Amino acid sequence: MADILELGIHHGDEMTIDDDGEEVGIEKLKERVRKRKGRGFTASDNSTREVLDNFESISATDNEPSDVQAQRSVEGWILMVTGIHEEAHEEDVQARFSEYGEIKNMHLNLDRRTGFLKGYALIQFEHFKDAVSAKNSLDGGELLGNVINVEWAFMKKSIPTKGRSRRH
Amino acid sequence: MSTRDFYLRYYVGHKGKFGHEFLEFEFRPDGKLRYANNSNYKNDTMIRKEVYVSQAVINELRRIVEDSEIMKEDDSAWPVPDRVGRQELEIVNGEEHISFTTSKIGSLVDVNNSKDPEGLRCFYYLVQDLKCLVFSLIGLHFKIKPI
Repeated sequence: MADILELGIHHGDEMTIDDDGEEVGIEKLKERVRKRKGRGFTASDNSTREVLDNFESISATDNEPSDVQAQRSVEGWILMVTGIHEEAHEEDVQARFSEYGEIKNMHLNLDRRTGFLKGYALIQFEHFKDAVSAKNSLDGGELLGNVINVEWAFMKKSIPTKGRSRRH
Repeated sequence: MSTRDFYLRYYVGHKGKFGHEFLEFEFRPDGKLRYANNSNYKNDTMIRKEVYVSQAVINELRRIVEDSEIMKEDDSAWPVPDRVGRQELEIVNGEEHISFTTSKIGSLVDVNNSKDPEGLRCFYYLVQDLKCLVFSLIGLHFKIKPI
């Protein structure tokens, strides 16, 4: 009996730690640095920013496979493509990815200084199966001589934290 | 040794006749991207969104930061935040931590007329590239126009 009770209490403790684990994680990361630079560290620095809470997010829907780690977006599934040649054209990328299904949206952002491509694209498919097959087929493949990587842009869960950042 | 720690936060805002108007985004080490935008003009409400991005997004973000060489810059000669506004850029990359502040930058003219045009130009373009990435991520995921 006592054991079970204790386990219950333990559970509660862990939950609490997890709740502010995020903040602790950021603080620990800042403590580990060796070099600090900037006026933001000075005490007299009067920031106008405020602490915010109640951020909205999208939750998983019932009609999707539970083993999927990717997070669905409002209008489909979004891939993060990196390693795109800076002189690639929208049509090059479009042609390669649309082989796997209809692309609902694509952002191929520019480098603001050079005007060439920044090197990444966000590509949205309506259907999960199309996004998966594009991802599996094109990840590690070549586009205009560059190796491209294709991954999900959004996940249901956090990136696993490294062991040492949780250590006390 | 872990040199792969990464954290980034950007804030731009001011307090004026429409209250506290600002834009802020943050990429946390666990992948959580938080985005907030408050414009009180015409009674707009505050947008507050969050989503976990993948390691691939964080890696690309880190690449953009490293390519910019912002960690080599220093904000000591940049225009100080004033009534018109304030920008803050805080980045932890491995063992280096920067927390830069400056005023709002209207255009490249302001950059070129400053005491540290090279450093401020680096900041100016990096901020544009970061906003561009964040607006795409938030805009596509939530199907909103972030600004």
